[in-house]
Amino acid sequence: MILQFTLVASLMAGPPAAPLRVVTSTTDLWDIARQVGGKRVVAKHISAGFQDPHFVEAKPSFVLDLQKADVWAYVGLDLEKGWAPVLLAGERIQKMALSATGNLDVSRVIRLLDVPSGNIDRSQGDVHPLGNPHYWLDPANARRIAKLFQDTYSSLDPEGASEYAANAAAFGARLDAAEAAWAPARARLKGKPIVAWHTSWRYLAEYTGVNIVGFMEPKPGVPPSPSHLSGLIQTVQRTGARVIVMEPWYDRRTADFVAGKTGASVLVLPPSVGGVKGLDDYVTLMKNAIESLSRAVP
Amino acid sequence: MTARRVLILLLLAATPARAQQQGTGPTNPRLLPDISVVGDLIFDFSRRSTQEDGRRFSVREIELALQAAVDPYFRGDVFFGYSDVEGVAIEQAFLTATALPWQIEGRLGRFIMPFGKQNLTHRHDLHTIDYPYVIQRFLGEEGLKGTGLYASKVLSPFGFYQEVIVTAVDHLGELSDDLTPEEPANASLGGLGYMARLRNYWDLTPNANLELSASASTGRMAQPLDATGEINAVNARQSLLGVDLTYRWRPLQQGLYRSLIVQAEFMHQINESNPTLPEGVDPGAYLGPRENLNGAYLFARYQLSRRGHLGARGDLLDDPEADGRALRAASGYYEFFPSEFSKLLAGYERLWPEGQASQGRFIIQATFALGPHRPHPF
Repeated sequence: MILQFTLVASLMAGPPAAPLRVVTSTTDLWDIARQVGGKRVVAKHISAGFQDPHFVEAKPSFVLDLQKADVWAYVGLDLEKGWAPVLLAGERIQKMALSATGNLDVSRVIRLLDVPSGNIDRSQGDVHPLGNPHYWLDPANARRIAKLFQDTYSSLDPEGASEYAANAAAFGARLDAAEAAWAPARARLKGKPIVAWHTSWRYLAEYTGVNIVGFMEPKPGVPPSPSHLSGLIQTVQRTGARVIVMEPWYDRRTADFVAGKTGASVLVLPPSVGGVKGLDDYVTLMKNAIESLSRAVP
Repeated sequence: MTARRVLILLLLAATPARAQQQGTGPTNPRLLPDISVVGDLIFDFSRRSTQEDGRRFSVREIELALQAAVDPYFRGDVFFGYSDVEGVAIEQAFLTATALPWQIEGRLGRFIMPFGKQNLTHRHDLHTIDYPYVIQRFLGEEGLKGTGLYASKVLSPFGFYQEVIVTAVDHLGELSDDLTPEEPANASLGGLGYMARLRNYWDLTPNANLELSASASTGRMAQPLDATGEINAVNARQSLLGVDLTYRWRPLQQGLYRSLIVQAEFMHQINESNPTLPEGVDPGAYLGPRENLNGAYLFARYQLSRRGHLGARGDLLDDPEADGRALRAASGYYEFFPSEFSKLLAGYERLWPEGQASQGRFIIQATFALGPHRPHPF
């Protein structure tokens, strides 16, 4: 009933004269931003879905988009540390100042994994001191992100609050239906051993129950060394892991080498919307990840 | 207090009291500035050391950076440089106004002068061991910095990125203790240093982009006189025009492993040939440059693997340190990045100064960074 009311209210409200402009750091945030925003929001993203979001070139042309933006939404936890500060250089874009409503560090609403508990330093690799930033690969976090966009848009554009609420509810409903559909595949994965390249897959593993027994990277962000690969091959043989999951931007030959030595298969899995053709929205991305993994794991 | 003690105290102050959990409080409750240190080590394997201090193994520079928001209106950036040759120097120290209207960026203090392309990069961040010779000779061995005012504005009236930068500084170039003109160049507003730069940037494809920019500067500088008295210099105007072109290619998906940069800069130095000399000084006593000089370089770097890059540079200029005679140089480099925070670079360079025998130099450089992750220069 509430959903019906908000839908009617949003239809009556109509699109605003000047839509909110949102720039997101990744395509996953972009998709949720536009789904919640509907016709009242124009959303753009900076990194591509098939690009490593840690290493994005800070092209000056992105500055033009940021200057016009009402909201700058980013993953946070230092994921964009290598490039976003250059785009916001000098903080000349006041709307994007840390204290401004338009500065949306999405990680602040996330229940994080891999938050270091002891002292850390760079001998541990490219460690994220505040926690693992690849949190969008858990539908519970996607709902939190949608709620954050809803609240932010409503604050900046109170007239559209009911429309944003309706859009967020619709997004949640699509996610509920999709979760029900992939539940059998998710159940199949529980406890199954796999190898992952980077820690990108920690949240998906937590959600599906799949067991990551080893990483291609010896430490986060550090390319595999021969000695590490030797140990990893033993781990794969010992645990019976049959799948090596990797992001599309890494060098597949290294994963193929481990697969060749162990009989495992390599699954190139995009962790972001737009990672391959057809993965055009968040729900499709998650469906592809879970079903592809389920098919690959014996 | 010695520079070393200052450094130790700053590093102790930066030690976090306790790691903060996400959601339990601010990550920087003491509001400490970001503190980072960059080390630049040089190993000179040339026939004879080609370093300023004559050493084969040297710490060329240690840079200490402190950066933070000052208040709701300003951000502060301070960079100290320390080297065995020059001691401690304030490399940069500027306030950036964060609340100016019309999205103008304003700075006040000492900063890298926005002339050309590579001059904007800290020396330790270069893909070569030293700046191109045209920058070393026309702007300064360690690039050109200035103390004064800076303003920039990003525009897109034609649909692509443009940025206009203007600066006014106390003086251009290094002040020499050995040269004493009748009055300092900054005695009048016309004697200050002025600079302007127009950047133009285009995305050619999602994988490739191009920047074509132009810079201009003018200022009065002390130039030597053949005189034995207290006044041994005269202020003469020196202007500089420059154009720089940078092409970048980096495929979005394979960008960890493959990339290419091709870069070129050309500079034209205009020297006042007959400056007004002190009364009674013979015009022939003026020893400063009278001719206009040109200089350029071409640089390219190709990424071979995730960690390895191969680069080369060619230099050609009228060398002001050799009365405008031609200096040609060619160099090749291999860069290896164990991580984002360390770099090893091996370089071989051959110089052909006009009228002299050619010289070669072989140098290995190691740089490292401590502290917070700094943005990658673009």
